Amino acid sequence: MIDIAGLLADNIMYMLLITLGGVLVSVSVHFVPVGGAPAAMAQATGIGTGTVQLAAGAGLTGLVTAGAMMGVTDNIGLVLASGAVGAMIMISVTMLVGQWVYIYGVGCPPASAKVKYDPITKDRQDLYVSQGTEGHAIPTVSFISGVIGAGLGGLGGGLVYYALLMMGEVAAGLTVKDIMSTTGHELVGLASIFAVGIFFMNAVIPSYNIGGTIEGFHDPKFKRWPRAALTSFIVTLLCAVLAVITLGGM
Amino acid sequence: MSVGGSGEAHAAIPQSKLIAFGIIGGLVGIYGAHFLGNIAGGVFSFMGALGAICAAIWGAGAVRRVASYGLGTGVPSIGMLALGMGVVAAMFGLAIGKGFEIAIIGPVIALVVASIIGLLIGIFANKVLKMNIPVMEQSMTEIAAAGTILIIGLSVAMTGSLMFNVVLEEVITTGYIAVIFIAGGMALLHPFNANLGADEKQDRTLYTALEKGSIAMILSGIVALSTQGASVGVVTILIGIFLWYFGFTGFYARVKRDAFKVVGTGLLPSEEELE
Repeated sequence: MIDIAGLLADNIMYMLLITLGGVLVSVSVHFVPVGGAPAAMAQATGIGTGTVQLAAGAGLTGLVTAGAMMGVTDNIGLVLASGAVGAMIMISVTMLVGQWVYIYGVGCPPASAKVKYDPITKDRQDLYVSQGTEGHAIPTVSFISGVIGAGLGGLGGGLVYYALLMMGEVAAGLTVKDIMSTTGHELVGLASIFAVGIFFMNAVIPSYNIGGTIEGFHDPKFKRWPRAALTSFIVTLLCAVLAVITLGGM
Repeated sequence: MSVGGSGEAHAAIPQSKLIAFGIIGGLVGIYGAHFLGNIAGGVFSFMGALGAICAAIWGAGAVRRVASYGLGTGVPSIGMLALGMGVVAAMFGLAIGKGFEIAIIGPVIALVVASIIGLLIGIFANKVLKMNIPVMEQSMTEIAAAGTILIIGLSVAMTGSLMFNVVLEEVITTGYIAVIFIAGGMALLHPFNANLGADEKQDRTLYTALEKGSIAMILSGIVALSTQGASVGVVTILIGIFLWYFGFTGFYARVKRDAFKVVGTGLLPSEEELE
């Protein structure tokens, strides 16, 4: 039998960490310049693919780098930093290569259609936006916004993963470091797939919130983030309860 | 017909029948594979994959219904959301089955929990995110439940058992869950994504779901080769190939029916012919 109430009471801290991680992932997506299909044709600012692919690419890299750090140390700060930096590197490389394709392949200058001046470089934007498009490529402000977003996403993903493993640690009677350095420990697989599931849910919710495309924190749609955060908070909290019972009852 | 953003899609088969088909077919498949697991060395574990295919057809019908209103983003997002919800609910259900020492309640618990998560996301999508899609609540519930049956069905096809320990050891720890995640997600999201447009017809989309589900079944058979032994895996793979052929020819026949004309373009012209 599982003592559900007891498990929930023991793991309340980790449940809150998982929820916080989910909300961070949800907010982070609003920073990433997601261009979707229009951007793939250089008709909108941002990276030319959907939210889920970008969030998954950057966020799962964050999970891998956070996991790699867990095998070396128990320090939560280092683990989270590792997750954030991994995701930031991944999204930076994606944006950089995308930028090469837009500039040297398509032949368009990076320009935002949402603001007249780039808030960071103060460069004029509207003159460079081709007629009939919503901007193209990745201007400086979107690039920086994307890096911030990936950092938050990696932080959130790492937090979820770490909290899940810490919960299982109590059940398995091992430390996180021991679990990660044991090849094929079942807790690692279960925590990873839970983290991936929670991550995907929190990547899709904001993508419905922004209607598929956003340029970064200077985009008017960015102001909608509290709605996605509230939705993610409730949904992730429910998932955290399920995770506590699943992992704690192992 | 159904174009993204055009409102309610016309359906020849009512959604209520697809729901019944998905739930009953899915659970019969999963329980059949579990209870017949001891007979003939577990060759009946292919039934789990049949249950997963039932769920895939149901889920693809639900995705078609909600996505034809226009999600504002790509259809693939909803498939990933479904499997995200599904994997959390499926693992919880099986773990509860183990915790209370009644393994057979696992799939039912998973189904109920997935429906609750799906309903919650559906309500929030309409009320908080203001997506204003009339069928959002119902469709999200269906998609989450279908995703859960897909995951449990394919896991049972791989292992021949519903026991949480077995699934944990042979599907999760080995990483085959990633195969289930992507192949199962593909069976849900790809049918409408591939067929959407002015000439979209429900039966063509559902045949694509059958074809994609069969590919997931073949993959689970390949995994079963190593987890359960050659005879079990081969049975699953052969039935999967047969269903794939049935699904693909059915899909192609409907492509020819719905297209204005299907013509062969021949091979690319050679250099001399171009001059």
